[in-house]
Amino acid sequence: MKRYLTRRVAVMPLLLLGIASLVFVVSRLTPADPLVSIIGERNLNNPEVVAAAEARWGLDQPLPVQYVTYMKNLIQGDLGTSFTTRRPVLDDLVDRLPATLELTFAALVIGVGFGISLGVLAARNRNGIIDHVARFFALIGSSLPAFWSGLVLLYVFYARLEWLPGPGRLEPRSTPPGKITGFYTVDSLLHGDLSLFWEASTHLLLPAIVLGWGVIGIVTRLVRASLLDEFSMEYVRVGRAMGLRERTVVNTHAMRNALLPTITIVAFTFAFLLTGAVLTETVFSWPGVGSYAVEASRNLDFPAIIGVTILGGVAFLVTNLFTDVAYAFADPRIRLS
Amino acid sequence: MVRIPTSVRRFTFLRRAAAFAVASTLVVAACGSDEKSSSSSTSGGGSSDALVIARGMDVNSLDPSLAYCDTCQIYMTAVYETLIGLDLADNQTLIPRLATKWESNPEQTEFTFTLDPKATFADGSKVTSADVKFSWERLAGLQGSASYLVGSIETIETPDDGTVKVTLNAPNSAFLPQVNASYLGIINSKLAQANGATTDPATDKAETWFLANSAGSGPFTLKAYTQGSELRLSRNDSYYGAKANFPEVIIKETPSAVTQRQQLEQGAVDIAMQLSADVAAGMSGPDVTVEQVPSFNFVYLALSEKAVGGEALTPAVREAIRLALDYSKLVDVTAGGAGQPQPSPIPNGFAGTKGLAAPAQDLAKAKQLLADAGVTDITLDATFPSLNVYGVDFSTAMQQVQTDLKAVGINLTLNPVEIAVWADKIGSDGIPVTMLYFAPDHTDSSQYVQYFSMAEGTQWQGWTKTDPNTEQADLLGVALATQDATERDALYKQLGESMIADQVIIPVVNPDLFLASRSNITGMHYSACCNLELSKLARS
Repeated sequence: MKRYLTRRVAVMPLLLLGIASLVFVVSRLTPADPLVSIIGERNLNNPEVVAAAEARWGLDQPLPVQYVTYMKNLIQGDLGTSFTTRRPVLDDLVDRLPATLELTFAALVIGVGFGISLGVLAARNRNGIIDHVARFFALIGSSLPAFWSGLVLLYVFYARLEWLPGPGRLEPRSTPPGKITGFYTVDSLLHGDLSLFWEASTHLLLPAIVLGWGVIGIVTRLVRASLLDEFSMEYVRVGRAMGLRERTVVNTHAMRNALLPTITIVAFTFAFLLTGAVLTETVFSWPGVGSYAVEASRNLDFPAIIGVTILGGVAFLVTNLFTDVAYAFADPRIRLS
Repeated sequence: MVRIPTSVRRFTFLRRAAAFAVASTLVVAACGSDEKSSSSSTSGGGSSDALVIARGMDVNSLDPSLAYCDTCQIYMTAVYETLIGLDLADNQTLIPRLATKWESNPEQTEFTFTLDPKATFADGSKVTSADVKFSWERLAGLQGSASYLVGSIETIETPDDGTVKVTLNAPNSAFLPQVNASYLGIINSKLAQANGATTDPATDKAETWFLANSAGSGPFTLKAYTQGSELRLSRNDSYYGAKANFPEVIIKETPSAVTQRQQLEQGAVDIAMQLSADVAAGMSGPDVTVEQVPSFNFVYLALSEKAVGGEALTPAVREAIRLALDYSKLVDVTAGGAGQPQPSPIPNGFAGTKGLAAPAQDLAKAKQLLADAGVTDITLDATFPSLNVYGVDFSTAMQQVQTDLKAVGINLTLNPVEIAVWADKIGSDGIPVTMLYFAPDHTDSSQYVQYFSMAEGTQWQGWTKTDPNTEQADLLGVALATQDATERDALYKQLGESMIADQVIIPVVNPDLFLASRSNITGMHYSACCNLELSKLARS
């Protein structure tokens, strides 16, 4: 196990360098002019302004020189400076990651919690009305694009009913809690500010539902299918024949086996949510990595684009590793080598 | 002995761990409650006295020598004072600010400013002529987007702490309005230099510092900036003049106009200035005030004969296109009727615009021009940036243009793209038909001639690769050497007519601005130089 982990971790930097190289080349080949995000379109014909901006951002160097310089800096942990924010990309990502992580965790809790519950209900009531309703709900979650469901939920619960707050992590007048973890819900609790905790939680709810709805769909279907497989196993029949309560049969025996494949899905879903919160963050003005990625791509902000891609790569590599380890841990029959 | 399965032990452990985590959080929260009073400055709540503005922020930098955007104008005016202010009553008259008086020679090449001896920076140090010299030399040296505003400066002399003498390399009657531009705000040179600011882009290291700190003399100071989230300003309590009414101003990143309206109506914010006509429509009630005012912003069509695929766009065809457009419908479609057609690239209200006839559709003449030119059923590439500015959606506007031109046999292939893609294309192949927008940096008409005319070196002369128009360059030179307002008005009118005759830039709509605020906010306005002066606002 230790050797396996060492090998996997050792390969990660090489994979990330490969990802960075690929994105570097692809973004540079895009027929677009990043200078417009640096100096604005009004000065694109001003030779002095253009020359100064190109020199300041290293865009006057030949592409191979830019590549070597970027890779040298990257190896030293320097992701460059964003054209748009004018700050080191690493600082931007560190500042924005907690917002995305908070949203992702909340979406995961909603998605997995509801997904497992609905999956169990559907399996226990196979082909019944509850099964059909649960599967329909799951289907909608998997099918609806986040920007549409986000806008609809915002319109209904914020604009019309005024039950939930609008976009953003807090009300416009509120001051964010002093940063400890960067999670507003956690930090407000740690500061003992319950009203701010409530505010942050209610702001989190709608985007988390929108993001988590897709997860509900995936997990519901997976848990339902796995449970139905388990229900056909002999040990379940034996348990029932021995007079065990149905709850015990399902929760204690069948569920444990049925949840194994869910571990894989949940781990990958986490990485998917982390990097795929782009639309949800945009709709809800959520200042996380997703909205940063949108701005970066719109402005052809090369350093930010590569930085976000590397972060996504790290997320997938780490969750992949975590999944393998967790799987082995959950099922001792599996040996990693 | 009953052996507990490993998996059950793990689940039990997890349950205990979760219970411990919840308990720990509650304990820490409880401990935190005791410290609430001591941590209130960093946690929660926010000031109910704060002025909150919902805006889609477009901040490119908070470094006063590099900033260049609409929100930057608001920020710069609040934090970095200029030598000259603008009378908001008429948006034209220049008034003293850091300079109590100024004078120029008749040739408009030498300007002398006398600084207010009471003026101090937020750290209490005095504003001196050395600060003015450093600020303007840094603006020129770093070659940021607003550096063109000081491009005519030859030398800056500082005979004493309170006097600044500027010599220009050519007559420039627009210099005083340029000094009024928010980007010419004065920096505390000692503070900035101590944090890496220089006048040389090779050695300057202060941009990051300016993202978290400010060094101005204005009524506000920078409190915090979180890109993509909010910009917070604190009142400068040691301000030497009349102090601002609000202790704090929060500009909240709110790109959606619909959300801006919703938050304003719910009282979550105090001001929303980026509402389109359709979003602002129907806003009423005792809590919200909406004022529709003419703006100096406009959206225009640009035609380029020398762009790849634009060969058919001869002057006659370009004139036909101008005559084929239904301007009143364009105003209706793009701005919900809340706007005006604009005759020349100099927007309504600026010098040189009085008496110019509004553009009008004349299909018969357009068709005749095309017939005379032997042009029938042509197709042109219309690549344009996919933008929505000042409430005008470019896709909607271009669809209307497409419809209008189809009626005279000109087909447009609409191609909305990101602005970076658009910039690359217009800078290389050029674009036969495209759309863009403009907002003023200051109150003088020269900026429009310097950008839209076909005089050598202007932005659009370069983009369209049109042969330089020496007559326009000469006229601009005369206008810049003239102090007399009537004469300047006549010259800019002549330049406006000449730019209309170019048939390169065709203004489509000059949209009105909707100043929406809570009814208890007083002092709402729109400034030609500075967008919104925060120190003029109050809560009744």
